[in-house]
Amino acid sequence: MTEALPKSATASREAEELATRPKIVGASVKRTEDPRLLTGKGAYVDDRKVPGMLHVAFRRSDHSHALIKAIDCGAARDADGVVAVFTAEDMREVNAVFATSRMKNYYATPITGLAIGKVRYVGEPVVGVIAQSRYLAEDALELVDITYEPLPVVIDPEEAAKPSSALLHEEANTNVLCSREFKTGDAEAAIASAAVRVSGRFRFHRKTPTAMENRTYLAEYEPGRDELTLYTSSQVPGIIRDALSDAFDMPGSQLRVVAPDVGGGFGGKASLYPEEIFVAFAARRLGRAVKWTSDRMEDLAATSQGFDQIVNAELALDAEGNAIALRAEVIGDVGAYSIYPWTAVIEPVQVVSFLPGPYKIANYLGRVRGIATSKPPTGPYRGVGRPTSTFVTERLMDMAAQRLGMDPITLRLRNMIQPDEFPHRIGSGIIWDQCAFTECLNAACGKADYQELRARQAEARAAGRWFGIGVACYAELTGIGSRISVAPGMPINTGTETAKIAIDSTGAVTAAFGVTAMGQGLETTLAQVVAEHLGGRVEDIRVIQGDSAAVPNATGSYASRSAVLAGGAATLAAQEVKEKIIRAASHLLEAASEDLVVEDGKVSVVGTDRTLTFRQLARAVYLEMGRIPADKREELTSTKTYDPVFGTSATAAHLAVVEINPDTYEIKLERFVVAEDCGRLINPMIVDGQVHGGVAQGIGAALYEEVVYNDEGQNVTASLVDYVIPTATEVPLIDVVHIEAESVTTLNGFRGMGEGGTIGAPAAVANAVADAVAPLGIDILELPISPERLFRLIESSKNHKDSSHGHET
Amino acid sequence: MKPPPFDYLAADCVEAAVQALAGAGGDGKLIAGGQSLMPMLNFRLLRPSILIDINRIPDLAYIRDDGNEICIGPLARHRMLETSDVIARQFPVLHEAMGYVAHLAIRNRGTIGGSLSHADPAAELPMMSLLLDACLVVQSLSGRRTITARDFFLGALTTALEEGDMLVEVRLPKLPKGTGWAFEEVARRSGDFALASVAVIIGSDGDRISDLRIGMMGIGETPMRALDAERILTGQRYSEATVTAAVEAIRAAVEPNTDLHASAEYRRHLVGVLAQQALARAWARLREATQ
Repeated sequence: MTEALPKSATASREAEELATRPKIVGASVKRTEDPRLLTGKGAYVDDRKVPGMLHVAFRRSDHSHALIKAIDCGAARDADGVVAVFTAEDMREVNAVFATSRMKNYYATPITGLAIGKVRYVGEPVVGVIAQSRYLAEDALELVDITYEPLPVVIDPEEAAKPSSALLHEEANTNVLCSREFKTGDAEAAIASAAVRVSGRFRFHRKTPTAMENRTYLAEYEPGRDELTLYTSSQVPGIIRDALSDAFDMPGSQLRVVAPDVGGGFGGKASLYPEEIFVAFAARRLGRAVKWTSDRMEDLAATSQGFDQIVNAELALDAEGNAIALRAEVIGDVGAYSIYPWTAVIEPVQVVSFLPGPYKIANYLGRVRGIATSKPPTGPYRGVGRPTSTFVTERLMDMAAQRLGMDPITLRLRNMIQPDEFPHRIGSGIIWDQCAFTECLNAACGKADYQELRARQAEARAAGRWFGIGVACYAELTGIGSRISVAPGMPINTGTETAKIAIDSTGAVTAAFGVTAMGQGLETTLAQVVAEHLGGRVEDIRVIQGDSAAVPNATGSYASRSAVLAGGAATLAAQEVKEKIIRAASHLLEAASEDLVVEDGKVSVVGTDRTLTFRQLARAVYLEMGRIPADKREELTSTKTYDPVFGTSATAAHLAVVEINPDTYEIKLERFVVAEDCGRLINPMIVDGQVHGGVAQGIGAALYEEVVYNDEGQNVTASLVDYVIPTATEVPLIDVVHIEAESVTTLNGFRGMGEGGTIGAPAAVANAVADAVAPLGIDILELPISPERLFRLIESSKNHKDSSHGHET
Repeated sequence: MKPPPFDYLAADCVEAAVQALAGAGGDGKLIAGGQSLMPMLNFRLLRPSILIDINRIPDLAYIRDDGNEICIGPLARHRMLETSDVIARQFPVLHEAMGYVAHLAIRNRGTIGGSLSHADPAAELPMMSLLLDACLVVQSLSGRRTITARDFFLGALTTALEEGDMLVEVRLPKLPKGTGWAFEEVARRSGDFALASVAVIIGSDGDRISDLRIGMMGIGETPMRALDAERILTGQRYSEATVTAAVEAIRAAVEPNTDLHASAEYRRHLVGVLAQQALARAWARLREATQ
């Protein structure tokens, strides 16, 4: 298939076709990792036990912002089972790591294993206690005596941006770690003269990724060779290896970083952490294996957080509903440090970069500042900035539709970049390749039967019920290549991936990658791509991921890139190995290359029963000397690196249906429909799973999840009782329609899709809730929208009406 | 999140448990299901010198019909109450409430004795014991005594249990046949602690309301009875006006807390809405049963 499905294609036919498609790429192959992962046979870092292994517990700051005046570790060192107690003083030989950037107006904060001189958020590691068990280490923690001198709390980003604020990093001379502006046309002038203007101060509250497996690090050290191996629950073992090489001045050949089975990441495991540096340091210093397993409290206190922005935005339209200008001022609360390697810039800059979304808006002005506060650093979290930008733009679209008296779908379709208008450069400079904006929106409305929903809404409203329908459309950049950096001006290469495929002397196929699986099924999808292009069987292909020693250069899995980049590299390497198979088989079977077919792990002469299995072929190549002339003998291996150069995009439309209890203000999601385009599907079942999971996280962002720091800088959502994530009972059935508009800019037409669910869902849910309460004259500008927030909005609007037009219910 | 060091005793009889509790001089803790105690230990919010495990004491997990009362052993797990025919028949309101107690995994472990002794103000069982006029049998070295549920809950996580006391039985007096009932609860998510909850049992004397009890939780330091509202309604015909007056009385009487999930104002609003719904539903059930 080389073209997009016509949008008239019905969803059920599509689903049927996808499910029964015979090819390997495109088939809903059952996940080969599932028998292992679902029966408790996965091997996570914490499952790894090494003789003599020691355990770390961290004494973390209980101050938001304070100078460290003195640390007394004497009693802790004497405690039962304690082997060592380290402070920053002990780690002076370890270099600080900096997330540098070529960007102007940016300050890179030093990242160290333990706090030096001062603490900048509650939960920052200050002292590491190493003992024979975690229990003993925690007992000794209480004996560490730290004298702090409290400094002013820096917790509100708008206050922190003022010159009068106390500074978290004095050397930076400001708490504004970065600022940027994007400008196309003259937004100010266009807004001033516009027929219709809608605006708001939008607030997207801080979240934390809450992977099921907490971060866990185990460093093993071989003193004889000065070799360090770090087992880490990381999405980016390659990046960690390179960073540790800088921190310890060690060559990569003595440093191996391995991410074995990883239990979820969502971006929270995509950065370098102080605990990783510390564990590696301690193992090398002590000459023993050292493990740290985060508990949930530590995870909520010190894993990177995200989505913390204030956006003042205004959209201007002409009287016919054509958007003409968008202006936005973004304040990103980036926390206390600029995270490595992504920098503090990554999320707030994404917000301004993606605000114009799928719409033609001639004039755009986007300003952003990333402000340091006394909170854990923000980092990538599924969607990175785009959940916020989509929330803002899609709310503005609905507000405009309401003002104009237009249907929100009609307004969107009118303003969207049309299928014949690609490539299109939006006001922030992003170029959309071929995106299925109108196709996705039409498909979502078709699947949900939008007209019927509106009819139901009219009935419900007549009966006094609060019933709402919301949509959200967006595009994201995925599978980004070497010409675009994942984060602006970052000094690492995120634009390539390498695959190393080998058929060994037993005929077995091993495919090694630098990407990492965190549960998303990459082991299966990459095996499908290799099998397709090699002519092998999916179940025979052993996929190795997450090992820095497997390929010379790798980063990992983040930014919806693995299917595109690793899939591309797999394709190239598999094709080359297949060519070698054919050349060898041509000798062995005495047949012309064009008469050979490689399929199901065998090579055969077409139209005959002459066949060699991979095993037979490999024996002939490697062991049975003489069967192939020495000068024609080739190793059945290939290492290929793929660079999509610019990469591609991915698009979706989300539609949410909610009903709100008008007495208790409980919000119930009735239905959720996603029409998405991730290009050519590798495994439709896995794509569905990714969409479902992403939407569930987006629902969490819309209705439940919020990290709350009080005025003293204490995290008051420090357990999963108070940091509320949705469970199966809060997530409705999700219908997914696939629009397979293959990317023309990537190998195989793949587009990335790991993050999308989380990008569209918050906005769709917000719009549905706003639609449900629209008759009350209430706008939704803040997420999550909890029953409590709804109650307050309704009460204040009632009070407002009481004083003007009398009571309205 | 590892507990501080403690001694551990697996008691084989109530007497041994009570003995050990007395021996610890106030520093001992009984552990049954551990669903609240273990997190508190792991957060190091509690530092008992000894943990006295009562899980292996035989014959403490029972639900027994004693004629006028249903007697429940302290080790009866939430799941046992939830699935008990005796409970479903005698106290459909309790049967319904049990489905709201946390999640299945927790219900499989948590016990009635543990829940009542822990006395979370937003937990279902303390409120149910108050609604159903439970008598709580307590044993210490000085013997057994009985405390009514009304006198048992003194504050958030605070009960009338004294240092050496172990809760050894819960007695629920049976309700008249045809009693109307309802249980209403709002929580952030299914299985979470209630933001507010109201339970009602109601009888009638002719067409007038009698034997009315209204229990509430999530709106104060302890579960509560809505005594003013009960007085307003008792002896009256069921009408929208009297229910409204009762709801107003409830809203005036409660002093909820503000926390992360709900403000005092929202809780006050909710408890009124839930009271109204619960009264309507309980009255409807009563009429259905008596027709």
